[in-house]
Amino acid sequence: MSESLRAPHPYVRSMRGWWRRDPFFVRYMLREATAVGVLVYAVILTTGVVRLAQGEDTWNGWRAALRTPWSVLLHLVLLVAMVFHALTWFEIMPKTLPAIFIGGRRVSAATITRGGWTAAVVACVALVALAWWWGS
Amino acid sequence: MDTFTVDIAIVGAGGAGLRAAIAIAESYPALSVGLISKVYPMRSHTVAAEGGAAAVTLEHDTLEDHFHDTVSGGDWLCEQDVVEYFVGHAHEELVQLEHWGCPWSRRPDGRVAVRAFGGMKTERTWFAADLTGFHLLHTLFQTSIRYPSIRRFDEHFCLDLIVEGGRTQGVLVIEIASGDLRIIQAKAVIIATGGAGRAFRENTNGGIVTGDGMALAYRHGVPLRDMEFVQYHPTCMPGTGLLFTEACRGEGGFLLNRAGYRYLQDYGLGPAGPAPRNKTMELGPRDRLSQAYWHERQRGRTISGPHGEVVQLDLRHLGPAKLRERLPQICELAQRYLGIDPSREPIPVLPAVHYTMGGILADGRTAAPLPGLYSAGECSSIGIHGANRLGSNSLTELLVFGKVAGLEAARYANGVSHGDAARVGALAEASAAHALELLMRPRGTERIATLRAEMAKSMEHGCGIYRTAATLQSTCERLAELKQRYRRVGLDDHSRAWNTEWLLAIELGHLLDVAQAMAHSALERRESRGSHQRLDGFERRDDGAFLKHSLAHYRADEAPRIDYGPVKITRSHPGTRAYGAAAGTA
Amino acid sequence: MTEPRTVEIRVLRYHPQHDAQPAWQSYTIPFDDDTSVLQGLLYIKDELDGTLSFRWSCRMAICGSCGMMINGKPQLSCHTFLRDLLPGPVRIEALAHFPVERDLIVSAGGFVSKLESIKPYLIPREPRALAAGEYLQTPEELERYEQFSACINCMLCYAACPEYGLNADFTGPGVLALLQRYNADSRDGGRAERMPVLNAEEGVWTCMAVGYCSEVCPKRVDPAHAVNQNKATSAADYFLRFLRPKRDRHE
Repeated sequence: MSESLRAPHPYVRSMRGWWRRDPFFVRYMLREATAVGVLVYAVILTTGVVRLAQGEDTWNGWRAALRTPWSVLLHLVLLVAMVFHALTWFEIMPKTLPAIFIGGRRVSAATITRGGWTAAVVACVALVALAWWWGS
Repeated sequence: MDTFTVDIAIVGAGGAGLRAAIAIAESYPALSVGLISKVYPMRSHTVAAEGGAAAVTLEHDTLEDHFHDTVSGGDWLCEQDVVEYFVGHAHEELVQLEHWGCPWSRRPDGRVAVRAFGGMKTERTWFAADLTGFHLLHTLFQTSIRYPSIRRFDEHFCLDLIVEGGRTQGVLVIEIASGDLRIIQAKAVIIATGGAGRAFRENTNGGIVTGDGMALAYRHGVPLRDMEFVQYHPTCMPGTGLLFTEACRGEGGFLLNRAGYRYLQDYGLGPAGPAPRNKTMELGPRDRLSQAYWHERQRGRTISGPHGEVVQLDLRHLGPAKLRERLPQICELAQRYLGIDPSREPIPVLPAVHYTMGGILADGRTAAPLPGLYSAGECSSIGIHGANRLGSNSLTELLVFGKVAGLEAARYANGVSHGDAARVGALAEASAAHALELLMRPRGTERIATLRAEMAKSMEHGCGIYRTAATLQSTCERLAELKQRYRRVGLDDHSRAWNTEWLLAIELGHLLDVAQAMAHSALERRESRGSHQRLDGFERRDDGAFLKHSLAHYRADEAPRIDYGPVKITRSHPGTRAYGAAAGTA
Repeated sequence: MTEPRTVEIRVLRYHPQHDAQPAWQSYTIPFDDDTSVLQGLLYIKDELDGTLSFRWSCRMAICGSCGMMINGKPQLSCHTFLRDLLPGPVRIEALAHFPVERDLIVSAGGFVSKLESIKPYLIPREPRALAAGEYLQTPEELERYEQFSACINCMLCYAACPEYGLNADFTGPGVLALLQRYNADSRDGGRAERMPVLNAEEGVWTCMAVGYCSEVCPKRVDPAHAVNQNKATSAADYFLRFLRPKRDRHE
């Protein structure tokens, strides 16, 4: 609808290295990278299920492998990644939901995020407690 | 030179221009409309209007009251038949905007809310938070998108009208991005280019408000009417001049001097009550409030700030909830620019130039004396504001007369054919030569910014809130000198693509011509009326000698010739403007 | 008399008629506590170098003209203050992710075309004669879309969005927020007509929920919310289209 033919020769700037240009983008890339951590942990757990199906010896072998120093280090890294994953998940979650109104007032994004974090912490604590009780 | 042919060309895509385009597209879809703007439409200065748009709405309000408020607000310099048309068509236009999606603020029952505004007897100002102009403009622009017959020429600067055979034949424009000149040939032209507040040093206006359309019509022999009437809005930010809407006062804000005293009661606008009362105190008309500030300053009762003498706009008692709901943009402005939270501290304010009551002579149907030329909005003087505009009448004006201009231009265009392309082309080439000479001038000795600053300072000095023959005369002389020096203005930038310096120079030329019309009209009006107030023996309104419109006629290389035209009085005879206790609005 | 304070401003210059690529140019300007970046640029243009080109108008963050990258972040120059950017140098370049036409001026035509493509106007759910007055809309109903209607078309969100930087066909945050503004307006019934825009690859599905758009928006429009809440809508529309007959205007 616009009749402009525009300027002779506009300059298009490169997007190379775009994610390093701003701390916000670096954080975003780290957030997305935690998906890899999730994948790695899923592989570890799947391996565990397979080892269990293969018999008691292989199952014990898998469990022993988990206790090696490299494995512990890997699991610490994965734990940090998971926590960051969960934190950022609930940060972005309000954006994916339609606006929520309770009693005529809009529920703020911060409330939804904090609610999510709280639910995550409660669920984790409950699971650990359950596992402890079951194991003892 | 590339030529584009349309049926109607509209210069300016703000509220009035867009409304005109839509009116033509709706009623005459076979006609092509060329909508030309030097900025993208959503950048037009309509966007900065805040407070609201007036129309008779409440049960107990009447057209008669809106008529009388407007005519007395204009100190009886209004064309009363036009005011009658205006008040009668205001409500339907605002409803039309609502039907197009404008997010007007609402009452709990879902009806549109109205607020009190300066000089209005009853609440009748429709508003969209404190962003009314923004929402109006975006609604109009987005609505205009549905009409394929509207061809937009975004970022095209209008250099000149093409007048041939005694008729308007189109316009000459620069496509800003490339610097290419183009002809837009048309059978009718509507000018909707806004006001000329940038002629003054401190103003609420955006950089684009440079009187372009006024200057072009003026140079082609169309008189500029009532140019001496320039509105000083009483509550603006010191330094930048940015606007703090009248709605601050409509919602109950106070104006305080250095002693924390509501000084307006000393100027016939009292009594001072705790709640806002129409036409009283802070809800008096803008000219009276700005004049009161001036007197307070003379008396040493203002506060010295880094950007001049200020008074205080106190909104603390409104409370954070109301401020957030009704005045969010004001809070943002105060916080961001001044570091002030209006719920805790008063805001320093002073008057700054805001609106040009005068403009292109337009009859009651927006037609200029030049056949095929129409004007609407702030650039035109259709006669509804007179010597002082009431707040919230101008946004409604854009709609009511934007529509009229569109329909009138369309009717005219249907009755004529396009002019001879060769003759139009030749005129365009001649006009283009002037603009290109300025661009190519190898050695100018004057800088644009220097001339602009001197003009703005002189206009503030001579055409301020109060004027004297001495200061006006000195401004007239200064403007003549500046016009001479303007012939030697030189650019740093001689290129074509996106040469905004070239455009600034052309805009300065427009402002100098319009400023001359303002200053000379003011010098000749030897009375005080509305926003034109004198201190040199002409302190009173003189209906005997000056109940008439001034008309400035352009003369190249000379001061304008000022003569006069009659004022149309139908029902309201000049009386006393009644505010404060006399207003009877208790 | 004290010397005025000065600060260095570095601007990425580009002229389409004589530059192969952009280059930085430095200026030193006086400033005080109130000086905005825009006022600094105007000083440069008025007093030092008239060839510097940039868009501006209202000076009060409502017209949306003056968006640019200031120290690497998309901001409006009129309400960004030099006092907050000290000691300098202050780096200024044209809005990221857009082609540069000249100096600080980017090509905005693509944005405007996208805005035009979403039917950004009220398509009334029910007809109503003008004489019948306004549609009723409660303050609560207004609140559902008011935030999205505050978009000043400044395009900072596009400069913040890496997906748009990588794919210029992406409809983008601002335009999608405007689409949501109309869908969420209780008076509007045009949702079905706007679905193709949302559903398209260049619609909501290019968005990777980076969220920087909402961070930089000067009017708190929250375009990230507008786009991402419509992913569910778009998915539902896709999967349920077999179940529902072709939608008419009235939902």
